[in-house]
Amino acid sequence: MINQKLWGIFLSLFFIHPSYGLQHSMSDSHSMSGHHSMNGDNGSIVMNSNHNNLPLGCERISGEKNITVSAGQRYAKEIPGTIFGMSEHEWKVDPCTRVTITFINEDDVRHQWMVHGLPKYLYPAGMFHIESMAGKSTTGTFIVPSENRNYLVHCDMAQHMEMGMRGQLVVGEGNGDLWAVTGITDPFYRASYLPDNLIYLSLVVLFLGYSLTSWLVRMRQKR
Amino acid sequence: MQIKNSKKQYLLLVILILSMFLVYPSQWYPFDMRLTLTSWFGAENYRPLPQSTMTSNSESELACPEDPSGWRASQIIDGVNIEESLPCLADNPYGVAAFVLGTNNVSKETLQRSGLSSDAIVKGRDLDGDGDPDEIHIRLEVAELNGSSPISKRPVTTYDIAPGVQPGIWVFAPKLIGMAVENFETQEARYSLKLPSPAIRVEQGDVVKITLENTHYMPHTLHLHGADHGFIDSNGEGNDGVPLTSELPILPGQSRTYDLTPRKAGTMFYHCHVQPHVHVQMGLQGLFIIEENRPNNNLQTMNLGAGKVRAPSQSLKESYDSEYDLHYLDLDKELGVRIQENNDPRLITQSMHRDYDITDANVDYFTLNGRSFPYTFRESLIVSREGEKARLRVVNGGSKGIALHTHGHKFTVIERDGVKLPKLSQTPQDVLWMATSQRYDIDLSFTNDGTKTYGPGIWLYHDHQNKGTTTDGVAPGGNISAIVDKAYLDESGWPMTRGVDYAQYFSADYYRKKIPVWESYIPAFYSEPGKDNILLIRILLLTLFFGSFLAILRSIFTQRNKGRS
Repeated sequence: MINQKLWGIFLSLFFIHPSYGLQHSMSDSHSMSGHHSMNGDNGSIVMNSNHNNLPLGCERISGEKNITVSAGQRYAKEIPGTIFGMSEHEWKVDPCTRVTITFINEDDVRHQWMVHGLPKYLYPAGMFHIESMAGKSTTGTFIVPSENRNYLVHCDMAQHMEMGMRGQLVVGEGNGDLWAVTGITDPFYRASYLPDNLIYLSLVVLFLGYSLTSWLVRMRQKR
Repeated sequence: MQIKNSKKQYLLLVILILSMFLVYPSQWYPFDMRLTLTSWFGAENYRPLPQSTMTSNSESELACPEDPSGWRASQIIDGVNIEESLPCLADNPYGVAAFVLGTNNVSKETLQRSGLSSDAIVKGRDLDGDGDPDEIHIRLEVAELNGSSPISKRPVTTYDIAPGVQPGIWVFAPKLIGMAVENFETQEARYSLKLPSPAIRVEQGDVVKITLENTHYMPHTLHLHGADHGFIDSNGEGNDGVPLTSELPILPGQSRTYDLTPRKAGTMFYHCHVQPHVHVQMGLQGLFIIEENRPNNNLQTMNLGAGKVRAPSQSLKESYDSEYDLHYLDLDKELGVRIQENNDPRLITQSMHRDYDITDANVDYFTLNGRSFPYTFRESLIVSREGEKARLRVVNGGSKGIALHTHGHKFTVIERDGVKLPKLSQTPQDVLWMATSQRYDIDLSFTNDGTKTYGPGIWLYHDHQNKGTTTDGVAPGGNISAIVDKAYLDESGWPMTRGVDYAQYFSADYYRKKIPVWESYIPAFYSEPGKDNILLIRILLLTLFFGSFLAILRSIFTQRNKGRS
């Protein structure tokens, strides 16, 4: 069993793209104008909603899942080093589930709940996107594909993902956690939180180790 | 046995000393010794100097990218007349139309193409009955460009001020809809997120509200520098943007509305007033222009990234043919990099507001309308036509003074800090000293009379303080741009220059100081010379011999000591 896992890791070193798990927001070239289905209410937006079209590999909709997500700086207060946040940053659903997201924005500025990497034949640019204006709640529906996979969910306003609004949607078993999911996984690059005088501290400890050991050696020789 | 050994060692020592003499480069001999040797043997033989090596073949960007969407042409959108913008990169005309009509009055399609939120610029009633709206509600957001990420060492939401130059920047931006980047494949900031913060235009007497929605992770405010605004707003709250005297700063995720009904026209300024020595310098500043009241004066409320005003006001059209907003800003790379080093807001705040000491600081980048040369040639050329006249509204938002100089023209200052100058002091000049945050309104005429202009051409205009023409010390860079007669522009909007090829300046390597500045002129003369490998080998041998010399010396000494004890 362990052997199998190790082999898996070994093979993945060769076959998996090095940036795996680090998704920014990459997939197809795309512009905000044009062919996306939009519907506005108080300026809020749902893009690429999908109630009935089944992804390949889904014979029917396997179930319904209603998820309510709240967003705002309030949710960042519990998590050190963040400024914006969501009520949860990880959602688990079964393959082929019809997911309805109610995205409540508790701040006085815009926020987004955006999924990436969905199949492009159903979702232009592989994206499902809800944008809620200040204090507004917006609801949108889409159907997740049949494969086990982790999808990046984030707010694509400048620095909102980096400052906490980064989550993952896990379909089925998933295929490995993404990095830097707020409160769930570690950042790939972690800042340093060490004291400034670390170098002196280590020198003192080095000296301590040296003198202690040589003292012990001398004691032993004397005996 | 021991004695034999040490004898061998002494022999080795002598051999090593001799070899060191042999490999010691003769050009390092003492001066007198060299003279004596010359008197005996004459000069040394010629050893060719290293050949020139070409450093470049480095990749260059296209100087003037195509304009497939036809943004440069003059056009009418939703009934709004939008003037042509000849240089390579033009403002989005749909944005211009939305700024003129208001995002609440423009057609759905235009609004979508502008990328603006439907409440970005809300225009209300015509209060004085002169045919234009006088209730204006502007919504601003705050965006970080070239910031950091927990998953990447490269900047995110990128904005290049020059090829490959991405300093950390903060800007006010119109309220947008959708993503901060152009598309999913790139980290490039979308078109509307740019330096400088937009120039804002309102009319004298307008009832103006400005809501600042703080989308950034630090506290900010809005201060209306020079514009006629009350200390207290219509709700009885502080209105000056100063955290100490006026109001609490706007925290992340919060918003606040400022208001004003300016009685006086003029070119003013707006900026954040929280830790202003850092926040203003980071780019949270823009032109705030109050136009004179005229009938049917439908203003272009925002001019993104400053530059040419494509839908100018009625008052401008009375006396000028074109209008340009020019925003000068210098940047300190040691400040900008602080938002790129960490992803923790607490550490960023410490780094920017305690570790960074502006009294020890120096600026490195010099931008005009958010770009440095050669990018300035894409978007901030002033296009002249003989006999015409342009009004320039100029602000120096940088931390140092600017000596604004025009080639081929003498201009006249008509207003300073939004106040008209008396006729007597309106004399032509070609260098203008601008203090930090100072505004000048300039009359630039293209009348070929030997003073106003010496004729059509491609005439530079730039800060004549030498460092202003560099990008981190590399020239040509900085805020160099040009006044170009229309006849000197090609189809794509690029000036038909007669000198050096531009390609080298459109390479990031040039501004990384990797390309010899005159290499393209005549490589044999000015390229980088190769390395003197023979001398290098001699030096390495010398150090090798010296190393073993020391080792033998040490072994001799230790043996001696052992012998004694």
